[in-house]
Amino acid sequence: MIKITLAGVNHKSAPVDVREKIAYPKEHLSPAVRILSREENVLECLILSTCNRVEILTITSNIHPDPDFFTSFLSRTHPALSSIPIRPHLYYKTDTEAVEHLFEVTASLDSMIVGEPQITGQVKEAFETCRQENTIGPYLNQIFQRAISTAKRVRSETAISHLPVSISYAACQLARKIFQDMSNKSVLLLGGGEMAQLTARHMKKMGVRSLTVMTRDPEKGKLLAAEYEASYAAMERLEETMAESDMVVCSTGAETYLLTVPVMENAMERRDFRPLFLIDIAVPRNIDPEISRLSNTFLYNIDDLKSVVESNQKEREMETYAAREIVRQEIAQFQKWRAERSAVPLIQALRRHTEKLQQSEFDRFSRTLESLPEDTRKQVMVLAQSLVNKMLHPTYQTLRNSSNLEEAWEWISRCYGLSPELLSQDNSSREEGGPADNKSSALDPARPDFPLPGEQSC
Amino acid sequence: MAAPPQCIRVKNRLNHHIRTIGLHAPPIPHCPFKFKVRPPEDQGSATEITERLCMKISPLELLLLEMSSGFYLGAFLLYLSELILSRPTRVPWAPVTAGVGGVLFQSLAIFIRFGFQGHVALLSLREVISFFSWTLVLAFLYLEHQKKVRILGLFIFAIAFLSTLLVIGISFHAPLFATKAPIGFLLSLHTILIDLGLASAALSFIVALLYLLLDFFLRRKIFNRFFSRMPSLETLDQLNTNFNGLGFVFLTTGLIFAMIWSWKKFGSTIPHASQGRLAFMGALFVWVAYAATVLLRWSRRFRGKQAAYLSISGFLIFAATMFALVFFSKGSHFIL
Repeated sequence: MIKITLAGVNHKSAPVDVREKIAYPKEHLSPAVRILSREENVLECLILSTCNRVEILTITSNIHPDPDFFTSFLSRTHPALSSIPIRPHLYYKTDTEAVEHLFEVTASLDSMIVGEPQITGQVKEAFETCRQENTIGPYLNQIFQRAISTAKRVRSETAISHLPVSISYAACQLARKIFQDMSNKSVLLLGGGEMAQLTARHMKKMGVRSLTVMTRDPEKGKLLAAEYEASYAAMERLEETMAESDMVVCSTGAETYLLTVPVMENAMERRDFRPLFLIDIAVPRNIDPEISRLSNTFLYNIDDLKSVVESNQKEREMETYAAREIVRQEIAQFQKWRAERSAVPLIQALRRHTEKLQQSEFDRFSRTLESLPEDTRKQVMVLAQSLVNKMLHPTYQTLRNSSNLEEAWEWISRCYGLSPELLSQDNSSREEGGPADNKSSALDPARPDFPLPGEQSC
Repeated sequence: MAAPPQCIRVKNRLNHHIRTIGLHAPPIPHCPFKFKVRPPEDQGSATEITERLCMKISPLELLLLEMSSGFYLGAFLLYLSELILSRPTRVPWAPVTAGVGGVLFQSLAIFIRFGFQGHVALLSLREVISFFSWTLVLAFLYLEHQKKVRILGLFIFAIAFLSTLLVIGISFHAPLFATKAPIGFLLSLHTILIDLGLASAALSFIVALLYLLLDFFLRRKIFNRFFSRMPSLETLDQLNTNFNGLGFVFLTTGLIFAMIWSWKKFGSTIPHASQGRLAFMGALFVWVAYAATVLLRWSRRFRGKQAAYLSISGFLIFAATMFALVFFSKGSHFIL
């Protein structure tokens, strides 16, 4: 029977000093995958290595590799790890649990920031690397395709990735609640704080019409303006620039309020009372909080933006319930595929048995058949074949849909009088696409997927 | 055959209505109750006008209205589920499709109604409400296509559902004014334009409420699911301005048509009869109030919140005047 096993460490199970030692640099990943694929019983394998996790997924026949197999593999491929006990940090999952975990990882449900989009790309990259090393077979291919499809469904059917969870993105989200069209809006970057720069960069990405940088130090301001393809304005032009701006991102080192109520009243008068969005990221604050009382001005400080982020994070956490339901649905689909695939050797064995019976009956009636004209003889053979196919079709369906394949096979073998040796006969119609020709595959009849009916009774 | 008391009341109301707007109806042969209605005083010879008074709505029209109310309810519930679940639905087209289904059935009902009465004037309260909700839904479907303001659907379909229910309810309890008399193009246009004006004012009212709510959320830093579903303040303000302007245009043209009709009918734009004068005063009051709100919006100080308050007050004055006309003008404008 095919066994799926996953082991790994991530940000939840291991501290950063362990993770940084376990992570595979890009150039070391391919050799590591090659080494793993040469291990005994390993039919297919995949290594996912990111800054927050290293996960190893293996497909083996009949037995699950134990956790020591993975710790030993990690130690061998990372000589620096020999001094660190890996086992306490390692999580170990098998079969459905392992697949479910990979689906959740790909859908970014297991990420440090739930819903972040990078992980799906990283899984795709890892798969591509392993595919180039020829370690991907039908099982991993199926798991990967379904993991990507699960991630897509989670992104499109839940709001998990819709709500921003960084301060700068939260500011942009609020801007979108005030303004409809960003292409005719101007942003004033007051001061050159790091967070303000990040916010301004995001706003630039949103497609604002113009960005103006205003700092007390003209040299620094001009440099910043050049970096963001913005224009520079001197501090003396504050009121004039305010009248033209729709969004103000403020982050200076000033210890007093730069924007006071009279300044703002004057600016609002000059800008015909159009809405103004003010973000004060500076500590101590640079904008008088009383300004928020003015009509059509919307002022947010760093704490307000944090509360937006927290609210969004809570919403994302809520969305994980819906996302996990999607994962469960996809797991059920995968299980169905796996069951169908496990039934293939049994169906082939049954078919061989019936073909044998058919042939022996043809032999018995060979004289009679030979006396028939050529066309009639062919029709009789087609009739016999069609009859057998139609009679066996429900049996094939039962095997494909059976949740307990062993029991189903026992009943079928009793009904049809099948011998236990039938499964161990050489299967000439083996499926193509296995990772290594010299290894046993999932459908290898020499290694039956489960005990034969005769063995089960022992 | 003695007529039931309700029918007598209806007859009196009908008499009054015919006197006011000068309706003439030919006798309808298969009428269950027949009355001799006093002809209008300005007519030279006595004309026997027979009206068929029906206590129930046409079964097909009723069925169509029931179906449309069912679709509106479905659309409302789907929009509500979107809000509660706070995630993109798997079938984003479902509420809009339900809305389109509802509006198609209601269109058929209105079409049958117009065909049945032989004119397109909205003379009874149920016709006004039915046309009003139909206009609201159509306007929303256009907006949904253009601006993606899904949250508006929640309110529009709730109103549409309740309106169609009310129309069905009124249909059961009030007789229909089923005359084949020619109403005239001017009067029909007047009623339709005023109803369109009311619908625009109602849309402006809903959008203004949403604006105030979003402003409240933004100022109080409340970031809930309702907040995340709302369009931008700028979008709401723009819609508010557009609906206000549109409503004012409909109201003005509707009133102009009424004045032309009055001038043609009575030789004066200001009606002499007390009931007509009441309607005229009401219309003048609404027009002045609405003109003031529209003009004030042009002022740069009346942006955002102030504009929203203006829209709300404009609609309330409009709606209150309409209801005052319904209840106090004793049939010169509507038949309940």
